[in-house]
Amino acid sequence: MSARARRLLAAAGIAAASIVVGTCATVGFGLATGFDRAARQADLPDVIARFDRESRSSLDKRVSALPNLQSRSYRTEIKQVFLDHEDRPGQFTRQGVLHILHDTRGGYAIVAGHDLTTASREVVVERGLAGAWNVKLGDTVDVGRVGKLRVVGIAVSPDNVAYPLSRAPRVYVGDQEIHEAFRFGDEIEPNLALLWLNDPSRADVTLTQARAVSFGIGSLSFITRAGVQVLLSQAAGIIISLLIAFSVVALAAAGTMLAAGAHAEVQRRLSGIGVQRALGFGPGRIAALHAREAALVALPATAVGLVIGWAAVSGPAADLLAALNEQPPGASLLLVLALAGLGVVALVTAAATLPAWRAARRSPASILRGGDLARAPRRGGGASGGMLGVGARFALAARGRWAASVATIAICAGVVTLMLALASLLERLRDDPGTVGKHYQLTAKLDAFEVSSVKALPGVADAAPRYQAEVADSFRLGEPLRLIAYPGDHTRFEAPPLASGRRVRSAGEAEVGLGLADALGLRPGSPLAVQTQSGQELRFRVSGVVRALENEGRMAYVRADRLIAADPEVSPTIAIRVQPNADRAQIAARLTALGAPPQRVGGATTRNGQFLGILAAVLRGVGLAVGLVCLYALVQALAMTARERRGAVALLRSAGGDALTVALVFAGAALAVAVPAALLGVVLERVALGPLVAALAAGFAALPLAPTVGQVVLVVGGLAALASLATALVARRVMREPPIAGLREE
Amino acid sequence: MTVVRAQGLVKGFGAGRAARRVLDGADLEVQAGEVVAVLGRSGSGKSTLLHLLGGLDRPEAGTVEVAGEAVTGVSERRLSALRRRRIGFVFQFFHLLPELTGEANVLLPGRVRGADPEAARRGGELIDRLGLRHVAGSLPHQLSGGEQQRFAIARALVNDPMLLLADEPTGNLDVEAGAEVLALLRAGADEGRAVVMVTHETAATRIADRVLRMESGRLDEA
Repeated sequence: MSARARRLLAAAGIAAASIVVGTCATVGFGLATGFDRAARQADLPDVIARFDRESRSSLDKRVSALPNLQSRSYRTEIKQVFLDHEDRPGQFTRQGVLHILHDTRGGYAIVAGHDLTTASREVVVERGLAGAWNVKLGDTVDVGRVGKLRVVGIAVSPDNVAYPLSRAPRVYVGDQEIHEAFRFGDEIEPNLALLWLNDPSRADVTLTQARAVSFGIGSLSFITRAGVQVLLSQAAGIIISLLIAFSVVALAAAGTMLAAGAHAEVQRRLSGIGVQRALGFGPGRIAALHAREAALVALPATAVGLVIGWAAVSGPAADLLAALNEQPPGASLLLVLALAGLGVVALVTAAATLPAWRAARRSPASILRGGDLARAPRRGGGASGGMLGVGARFALAARGRWAASVATIAICAGVVTLMLALASLLERLRDDPGTVGKHYQLTAKLDAFEVSSVKALPGVADAAPRYQAEVADSFRLGEPLRLIAYPGDHTRFEAPPLASGRRVRSAGEAEVGLGLADALGLRPGSPLAVQTQSGQELRFRVSGVVRALENEGRMAYVRADRLIAADPEVSPTIAIRVQPNADRAQIAARLTALGAPPQRVGGATTRNGQFLGILAAVLRGVGLAVGLVCLYALVQALAMTARERRGAVALLRSAGGDALTVALVFAGAALAVAVPAALLGVVLERVALGPLVAALAAGFAALPLAPTVGQVVLVVGGLAALASLATALVARRVMREPPIAGLREE
Repeated sequence: MTVVRAQGLVKGFGAGRAARRVLDGADLEVQAGEVVAVLGRSGSGKSTLLHLLGGLDRPEAGTVEVAGEAVTGVSERRLSALRRRRIGFVFQFFHLLPELTGEANVLLPGRVRGADPEAARRGGELIDRLGLRHVAGSLPHQLSGGEQQRFAIARALVNDPMLLLADEPTGNLDVEAGAEVLALLRAGADEGRAVVMVTHETAATRIADRVLRMESGRLDEA
C-alpha cells in the first residue's frame, strides 16, 4: 500500500469518527442548551402561578407585596377554545388554549413577525401550531367566540412542549380584543400570574410567602422555571447521555485503531527512525515530525467529518428542538464543533505520536536491530480451515490488536443494535398499542349499551366499554391520577406487565401503575383512596403494581361498577379488538353507521407521533454513523494485516493463489474479528446497554429494548457485509501489485 | 523437451536519471531434467530473471513460455493457474509462515483453490523422503536453517511442478546444509523437472548441467 493510500485510509477513519462526534455534538449541544436559550429569549418567568379567576386589583395587592419580586404580569388562560385556520379548510381543533394578555411582558419569544400591538384583530400563534397547520403571517385564524384574527406573530414559549406534542395549541391576544369582541367594559379577571424574581435562587422564599397570602384563592398551583426545565429536559437528558456515550465510543474506536495503525507504521519505519537517531535526531524531534504528519492528515479529515455529521442531523435536531419549544443553537454551535474538532485532532495526533516517541527513545543500535513484529508465535498448528483459517491465523497473530479491534467493533455493534431496537421501539410506541400492553386497536365514542352491536360487527373480535376518569388521591389532595375501568377482566383489553402482586379479582381491588406506586408509596395490600370530580370518595385495596406507560404510570385499573356508582357522569368509549386480517375500513364504515367514527389506538400517545418519528430518525442517523466506524475499524484492521503479512500473501500468490484465494485469506482475517465482535455486541446490548437505557428512559414502565431476531440478523449481516466490503477493498489493493513486491520487502 | 523458453526479456527499475535496465534482451531455454545455474554480481538482474520466468513480475519486453504456455501477456488469473500447476519456487529466506508447522507450510500450496488433489499425499511423502518427519510438527522458529530450506523445497515440489526456480537457495545456509539442499535440487531435476538456480556461489554450480553468467542484462555461457 502506498504512503498516499495509507494516509487516505487514516483520513477516512478520522472522518468517520468525526462524523459521529459531529452528529453527537450537534444534537447534544442543541438539546443541552436549548431550554436555557429559549427561556432567555422568551424572558420566561421564574414562577408561573395558576388559580381560579380573581379580581386583578385584589390579586395585585397580594402579589406586589411578595418578597424578592422584580416584576409581574397577568393573563387569563381559557382552555378548550375552538381554533380554525380560515385559509386551510380542515385545520381546526377544539383543544386550543387562549391566553389573554393584560400586560406587555409576555413570557414568549417572537420568532417571526411582531408582537401584539394596539391595533385590533391581531393574534400571535405558537410556532408548533404554525408548523403543523402551515400558518403564515397575515393568515386568518378563527379563535372561538373572539372571531377571526390576523396572525401578526409566531411565538415560542418554552414552559411547555410544542403542539402537536402538546395536545393544546396556544394563541395569544390582547385584552382589548376581548373587550371589543364582546363589547363589555367589565374587567376580565386573570387566572395566571407570571412572576420574575430579583434572585431566582430564592424562589422558595417567595413561594412560601405566596402560599401564606393565598387564602381565598382557589386551585392555586405554582411551577418554577427550574421545574419546567426538569420536566422538559428529562427525555432530552437521556438522549444527551446516550449521544455523549456514542461520541466516546466512536473516539475510543478511532483512537484504538489509529494507535494500532501508528504502531504498525512506526514498525515499518523503524530502520528510518534508527538512522535518524544515529544521525543525531533526538526522540522529541522525531516524535514532533510524526505529530506534524498526523495533524496534517487529521485536520482536514476532522473538518470534513464534523461538517458531514452536522449536515446529517442538523435538520432532525432542529425539528426536535422545535417540538420541545426550544431554540436551535445558531452560531454558538460553531465553537462547540471547533472544540470537538480540536479534541479529535489532539487525540489522533497523540495516538500517532506516542508509538514514535516510544520507539525513538530506544538506543539507535536497538532500533536498527529491528522492531517487535517478528516475535515468535505462542503456538502454532496445521492449516485447518483452508485459506479462511490461514487468514484467521493472520488476524490472531497480533493478539493485542485483534482484541482491540474486536472490542471496538463489538461496542459499535452493540450501539447499532441498541439504536435499531430504540428506533423500532419508538415507532411501535407510536403505532402499536400492543407495545404498551393495549390489546385493542380501535375506540368509538358510543354508549355502553351499543357494545353488543359493536361485538356483532364482522371482523370485531371483542368489545367493551372503557371508562376513564381523572381523579385525585384522597390522602394527598392535588396528586392527580387516572382511573381506567372495565366491566370485567381488563386484561382482555389492557395488560401491562405486572411488576409485583397480582391482577384485580374483585370490585374492591386496584392495579396501580408503577409511577403512582412510587409517588404514593403504594405496594400490594396498600389502601388507595381517590376523590372523583363529583366529590365522591372511592377506596380500593392495591392488588398489584403494573409497568404501565400511560399517564407516566400515574394510573390505576379498577372494575367499572364502583366508578360508575361514584361518578354517574363518567361516559365510556368502546374499546374494540379487531380480528387479525380483518377489513378495518369496513369496520370503520359500520361503526360510523352506528353513529361514531372510530379512532385508531396508538401506542404511548398518538399525538406524539411526529416527535417519536423524529427521534427514531435521529437514532437511525447515529446508528449509521457508528456503522461507518465499524467499517473503518475493519478496513484498518485488514489493511494492517495486509501490510504486515504482505510477504505471506505474496508467497501464497507465488504458489498459485489467485484473487479469490487472497480474498478468502482476508475474509478469514475479517471474520476472525467481525464474528466474535457481532456476537459480543448483541450480548452487550441484551445484558447491559438495553436494560440500562430502558431503565433510564422510563423506570415506571417495561420498555422492550431487547433486539428482535430481525435486528440481530441485520447487525450480524451488516457486519458480514461490512467485512466483505473491507475484504474486497483490501484484496483488490493487494492484487494490484505483482507478487514479487511483497517477497522483495520480506 | 523444452520447459522454459524466454526471449528478449527487458526489465528496468527506477525513473529518470536513476533509471536502470537490469535485463536487456536476455534469452534462455531450459530442457526437462536440466539444472541451469545463473551466476552474476549483486544487482546484475539474476533474481529479476527468475521472477519473470515464474510470472512473479512482468517484463517490459520479451516473452516467456513455461511448458508451452505463455507467461507474458496473460491475465493474472491464468498466471496464478500456471504457477499453481507448473512452477515451484525456493527462496533464499525460506518464506515459511511463522504460525504454521513445517508440515502445514508444505501442504499450504495444496490448499490453494484449484490445486492438485494429490498434493496432500505428495506432501506427506516429501516430508518423509526429505527426512523431516521428526520435525514436521515444529514451528519455523524451532527449526534450523537447513531444515527450514528443506521444508521450503518440499513446499515447492508439493504440486509436482515441471519447473523449479531457486533464488540463492544456499545463501543463508552453512556448507553442510547447503550441500543437502543442492542435492535435493539435483534430485528434482533427475525426476524430469527443469531447474533454474540463481546463485553467486561458484560451489553451487557443481550440480548444474549448464552455467550461465548474467552480464549487462544478457545471459552468456560461463
